[in-house]
Amino acid sequence: MLISGVCYAGETLRPGDIVPDFTMPATNGFGQRLAEARGAPLMLIWLGRCDECSETLVRYQLLAESLEMDGLKGWFVWTPDGDALPPKMRLPVLKYEGKWRQSWQFKGRPAVMLIDPDGQLDHLITGDLDENYPETEKVLMRWLSLGRDGQISE
Amino acid sequence: MKYILVLLLAMPGMLWAEDAAVREDVRAAKETVLELNRDLYELERELLSPATTRASFNLTLNHGEFFEPLSIEVSVDDELKIQHLYTERQVKALRMGAVQPLGDINLAPGKHTVRAVVRGVDHLGQGRELSVAEQVNKTSKPLITELVIVDRDELKSARVQLKYW
Repeated sequence: MLISGVCYAGETLRPGDIVPDFTMPATNGFGQRLAEARGAPLMLIWLGRCDECSETLVRYQLLAESLEMDGLKGWFVWTPDGDALPPKMRLPVLKYEGKWRQSWQFKGRPAVMLIDPDGQLDHLITGDLDENYPETEKVLMRWLSLGRDGQISE
Repeated sequence: MKYILVLLLAMPGMLWAEDAAVREDVRAAKETVLELNRDLYELERELLSPATTRASFNLTLNHGEFFEPLSIEVSVDDELKIQHLYTERQVKALRMGAVQPLGDINLAPGKHTVRAVVRGVDHLGQGRELSVAEQVNKTSKPLITELVIVDRDELKSARVQLKYW
């Protein structure tokens, strides 16, 4: 499914929905396509206003990296705003630009999406990333442990 | 009584024959629908992109030692027609010799300016932009083109060329 311009899917995405495919360029390497991440759990972090906001994201990056052994992938999605610069991270930082017809925007950002290996949105945590970190960590650990037991979808 | 018995014995056979005939009719109807569907698809394809206006663009990567594509944009007569973002997996496939169908567009017979801009990184990880602009003559036959990214060993760089099939 291709969604052009500003998000349509993101306005109505709810846990249980299949997340529509997208391809976005990255500020630090190759572009990423959601469909290619199928088969592994994915933590997709939609950033709000962010001008080199690496500090805010370090905990999320460490969390994702520490769970790589469990197959977890972690991506950030950054939206340029004026002269703002993207965060410098080791994980892919995708850049949303309306000109790419294969991408879409999530209006409820900042938000964390936990997407299961079949592409289904299992958890959606919206709101300030700093404030929501403890909850995200708790939900993520529980989600992955359920996945290991073969019951990833709640 | 005897006749009734004979009739009752013969009935399952008659019903079976009738059932087989119905099944055959259904099968024939399904086949007709499939054929019709195929014809409609062909018709739709011809209407949407007839041979006289069909122009196909493909992309290949020759070696790719000095350039890795991250995105491509193809414009015809200054109008953006095709765009694509590359993932690592796709670039690997191109390196292994894959031919990527970028897309088909409709192009009226006559002369057109095709411009392709490929953005990517060089072997040092620096951002690079390759571009090609050429005038093409579209005839009444389909135009099939290939954008080839070729390494230039002597300059340790790459260039993009437009080839015609």
